[in-house]
Amino acid sequence: MPFPSVPIFLVPAEALTAFAGATTGKLTKHMTRSEEDMPFALLDTFDETLRQSGMCLLQAGGELTLWTADGEVLTQTGVDQPAGFVADLAEGPVKLALACVPELRSLIPLAQGRLQTAQLALLDKEGKTQARARFHILTPDLGHRIAIAQLQGLRGYDKAFAQLQADLLGAGAVPYADRHPLIALLPEHAPYVAKPDLELEADATVFDTANAIIAAYLPVARQNEQGVVDDIDVEFLHDYRIALRKIRSVVSLFKGVYSDKQTERLKQRFSDLMAPTGRLRDLDVYLLERDFFFDLVPQSLHGGLERMFDMFAAERTVAHQKLAKHLKSKGYATEITKLVSLFEAPKRLHRGPDADSQAHDFASALIWKRYRKICKIAEAIDDQTEDEEVHELRIHCKKLRYLMEFFAPAFPAEEFKSLIKPLKKLQDNLGLFNDYSVQQDSLRAFLDGLGTDDHAGNMQLAQSVGALIAVLHQRQLGERQKVVESFQSFNSPETQQTFRDLFHGGEG
Amino acid sequence: MKIIACYSNKGGVGKTATAVNLSYALADAGQRTLLCDLDPQGASSFYFRVKPSKKLTETKFFDDVERFTKSIRGSDYDNLDILPANMTFRDFDVFLSRMKNSRSRLKKALKAVKSDYDVILLDCPPNISTLSENVFSAADGIVVPVIPTTLSQRTFEQLEEFFREHDLPVNKLHAFFSMSQGIKSLHGQTMEEMRKAHKKRFLNTQIAFTSDIERMGVHRAPVIATSPRSAAAVAYRELHDEVMERLGKA
Ligand SMILES: Nc1ncnc2c1ncn2[C@@H]1O[C@H](COP(=O)(O)OP(=O)(O)O)[C@@H](O)[C@H]1O
Ligand SMILES: [Mg+2]
Repeated sequence: MPFPSVPIFLVPAEALTAFAGATTGKLTKHMTRSEEDMPFALLDTFDETLRQSGMCLLQAGGELTLWTADGEVLTQTGVDQPAGFVADLAEGPVKLALACVPELRSLIPLAQGRLQTAQLALLDKEGKTQARARFHILTPDLGHRIAIAQLQGLRGYDKAFAQLQADLLGAGAVPYADRHPLIALLPEHAPYVAKPDLELEADATVFDTANAIIAAYLPVARQNEQGVVDDIDVEFLHDYRIALRKIRSVVSLFKGVYSDKQTERLKQRFSDLMAPTGRLRDLDVYLLERDFFFDLVPQSLHGGLERMFDMFAAERTVAHQKLAKHLKSKGYATEITKLVSLFEAPKRLHRGPDADSQAHDFASALIWKRYRKICKIAEAIDDQTEDEEVHELRIHCKKLRYLMEFFAPAFPAEEFKSLIKPLKKLQDNLGLFNDYSVQQDSLRAFLDGLGTDDHAGNMQLAQSVGALIAVLHQRQLGERQKVVESFQSFNSPETQQTFRDLFHGGEG
Repeated sequence: MKIIACYSNKGGVGKTATAVNLSYALADAGQRTLLCDLDPQGASSFYFRVKPSKKLTETKFFDDVERFTKSIRGSDYDNLDILPANMTFRDFDVFLSRMKNSRSRLKKALKAVKSDYDVILLDCPPNISTLSENVFSAADGIVVPVIPTTLSQRTFEQLEEFFREHDLPVNKLHAFFSMSQGIKSLHGQTMEEMRKAHKKRFLNTQIAFTSDIERMGVHRAPVIATSPRSAAAVAYRELHDEVMERLGKA
């Protein structure tokens, strides 16, 4: 019977050749290799959710093998289609263990090559197996050959098991917990990070800070381009847009860092990058809301929604083709490359009057101002206030959040966190309020845009969508009623004090 | 958990061959199985290439939970462990009753080392008279190989007699014809008579005499593992299915 947990090691593939037939003490190593090799793919999401949770997923020969963080090895057969969403996998132990993969993320091959398997048995003089190991020998198309070894001890033969471990370690094996196969296979591999960690000097200027943030987020946007073009999952476009939006808000929020002309110019260039992505993202969002919308209206109205979503899906196909073409165009390539090189050597940027301010002082002033503005708007909000004001509040909160995130390295981490958490909660409330409102607007726009040729069909549609708008309106009112309370719980006396302490010299 | 004994009051009838293959079939079907080699000759340990343990001759062995679990050996096959031969039989009945009691220290210790077996299979030596009663009462089923000869008929009747005398339920006895030879018409006749005389005691499966089973000593592995498609392997699997079906109903 196997030991409670299966120890896993990564072994340099060359080491295995020396094992066959070797003897240590009274034990002989007996190696059997699979005759043929076959293609393999190491799967993960683009942002490497699996690697980050200590898992490694291999697809080969219609089988999935999953190594888990605690040394379990799970397999699931009958998986012939190329990688995709976990939800689309057949039910099985591997699918169950993959529950941590975000719903919207697709599994993609991060390394590919040929796989061979091998079995090693430590035999005693009687020919009894006293310990064994199973190897997945991976030869990547590009990179290092490694073997994933999964050791199996047999009850009552602890010495042989220890011997096998020692032999593997002697041959350069590394425990699985210490190095992920992906990293071992592809030593050059630079994992995708959606939120790069910025390291800023304590005395960094605002100019340096702004440039550093933009220089860090441009590659984030770039890394998502291919995924958008290949339409792997909707998160590529989402991350692409967030990266650009962050850049744009640096340009607009860091007033006085660049000259006015430079600021305008940059704003325009980044807005121009964003513009072609808007419609596809809207459609992605509608389509993601499908189940949610269906749940909101009675079954009798589902026919109309069905029709609407079919139209969205058709439009999405066109919108995606258009964006993909744009991203592959020469014009786009030239522009994005220019921007990247501009921020790699930012000397060419025109400085503004505040370029040389200390990031810390500059940020404090901006954050304090923004916070005061938020308080002013929020304190005036009651049941009678126009929706416009609530939208204003939302936008200011968003800007505050961006500012705080950008300048986080310049402030004590603990206190910062204590502010971000309640702010997030307030933003969730305001975000839902806004979502419901935007959804109603876009549904109305959709109805307005309907042609006149299919009258009966459109009637059915209008009925369903009308009902949906009514429900969304109710929801929006519900969120609206929570705003006053949400703000109060955000703006607790402690929050107020921390804001004063961090950004206004303790006064205010 | 179930306890199955391979027993006959005669030697050389196929108890060990049955225990070895039945335990393999059980493990292969996903049952966590412990094969206890109770024969000091260590025949079933030999088939699994497990060396008899020298240290197991002391008394009180089964009392010493740690010593006991330490002497279990993993076989080359998943789900199948061996308790090698060469132990004293003293306290064996205590051991069996502890194995049946989920709250005993022994069971807890086994659980702790993930050896909470589904089935314990006993390969019994022919003469365990002092112990047999305890083994018989602890076991959920007793699988009895019977060579279809007149002499074996007598032996089997003695076993049934013993059960009745000791108030043991005879329906625990699951006999089957072992080493039967088609060409010996005497075998056929004896089998027919015995099936009639001991209705319900005999399983339908027979393990015929084949050289594949004889050669197990050369391969030192269950015949199901080395020649899975052989008639012998098929027969042992059938025996497994039939025994398990009967025990399931019991
Ligand atoms: N069905 C069979 N066909 C041929 N040989 C057999 C068969 N069953 C057992 N044997 C052989 O007969 C001998 C005695 O069998 P064994 O299983 O050791 O009997 P027991 O355990 O009852 O003493 C062994 O050499 C074994 O290989
Ligand atoms: Mg025997």
